[in-house]
Amino acid sequence: MAANPMHQFQVYRLGPEIKLGNVDLSFTNASLFMLISALSICIFLYFGSKQKSIIPGRLQLIAELFYNFIAKMINDTAGSKAKPYFPFIFTLFMFVLLCNMIGMLPYSFTVTSHIIVTLVMALFIFIAVTIIGFFKHGLKYLSIFVPKGVPVVLLPLITVIEIISYLSRPVSLSVRLFANMMAGHTMLKVFGSFVISLGLLGGWLPLSFSVALTGLEILVAFLQAYVFAILTCIYLNDALNLHH
Amino acid sequence: MKLKIPFVIFILWTETNLFAAEAGMPQLDSKYWYSQSFWLILIFLVLYLSLSKFFIPKIKDNLDDREKKINENLDEAKKFSELAERKNLDYENEITNAKKEVIKIINDSKKQLDKSINQKKEQFEKELEKEIKKAEKEIFELKNNSSDSIKTIAEEISSKVIQDITGEKLNSSSIKASVTEIAKNKVGKYL
Repeated sequence: MAANPMHQFQVYRLGPEIKLGNVDLSFTNASLFMLISALSICIFLYFGSKQKSIIPGRLQLIAELFYNFIAKMINDTAGSKAKPYFPFIFTLFMFVLLCNMIGMLPYSFTVTSHIIVTLVMALFIFIAVTIIGFFKHGLKYLSIFVPKGVPVVLLPLITVIEIISYLSRPVSLSVRLFANMMAGHTMLKVFGSFVISLGLLGGWLPLSFSVALTGLEILVAFLQAYVFAILTCIYLNDALNLHH
Repeated sequence: MKLKIPFVIFILWTETNLFAAEAGMPQLDSKYWYSQSFWLILIFLVLYLSLSKFFIPKIKDNLDDREKKINENLDEAKKFSELAERKNLDYENEITNAKKEVIKIINDSKKQLDKSINQKKEQFEKELEKEIKKAEKEIFELKNNSSDSIKTIAEEISSKVIQDITGEKLNSSSIKASVTEIAKNKVGKYL
């Protein structure tokens, strides 16, 4: 095989080494692409909100579309109580979406294909949601582990299962995004190298497959950002509206 | 999607040593974990702050402005359409009134016309009657005159005829008497 399909996930240092005590905080290619994503979002939203026209331009329309899309999603899943968290969910969705999408460009780096990145986000959401839950409901928040209408005999078992499922939330949330991103990009790379190794005669089949996969991956990039955001909304809903 | 991940893991497993971080999955190499987390938190925080303080309120303002303006315009349009409807109603009322008036005017003038025609007709008939009476009278007079003149003519003719036949002159009063007597019997027949 011409190139290692995992090579694209390699993190390397850019510029000088930054060390804080024993901890290496160097600026890497991952950091660079996070920065590019964040800057793209800012530039996009800057031009999307610059003109205050009644009939929106293209960028303004897209920006407002995203805004309404997220606002509707939050309202549908978590209700009006979740309104103060709108900026966070919006930022989260845009950041994950842009990281996924920029990762689709050739020779770029997919930030969200790293478990540590998605895990940090998922853990932050998990801890924040738990804190919000306890803050809003006190110890009553623990009743989330005791579903209503369960026979008393089954209650210990169900409670244990509920606790496990609650604790596995950050894992499932982070692994879902990371695994999808990594798998998609690896597949693209694998089929790309098939094109090279099969040459002009046999390379057309994997090439066409690669093209189709690219389309699928763009869909997945959007879908995973959406799933990440909507799951955050659902967790938030559990914390805000206990046993609705 | 579900098949994809096992497939990738299989490929990786056959191609590389999966869990030796350097060769397999760079994701599992902990060398840059702190760096990635640090930069992620930093960049995400800055992005969050700039979005929540700057961009999101701006978009929200835009959207609210638009909704407000659209609602205002809709209200105005509603007002205008109500106004137009009222004007239309007024206009229709005016048209019906005008139509009624027109019908009234037509009827009035028709009546007036009829009246004047009748008047004229009566007058004309009266005049006609008068003329007829006058003519009748004239005819009557003419008739009487003519019967008188016929009598005299008849007397003259009779006296002449008698004179021619007999050669003697009869006295005129006896002729007059006999002519009158004959005329009494016969005149009605011819005149």
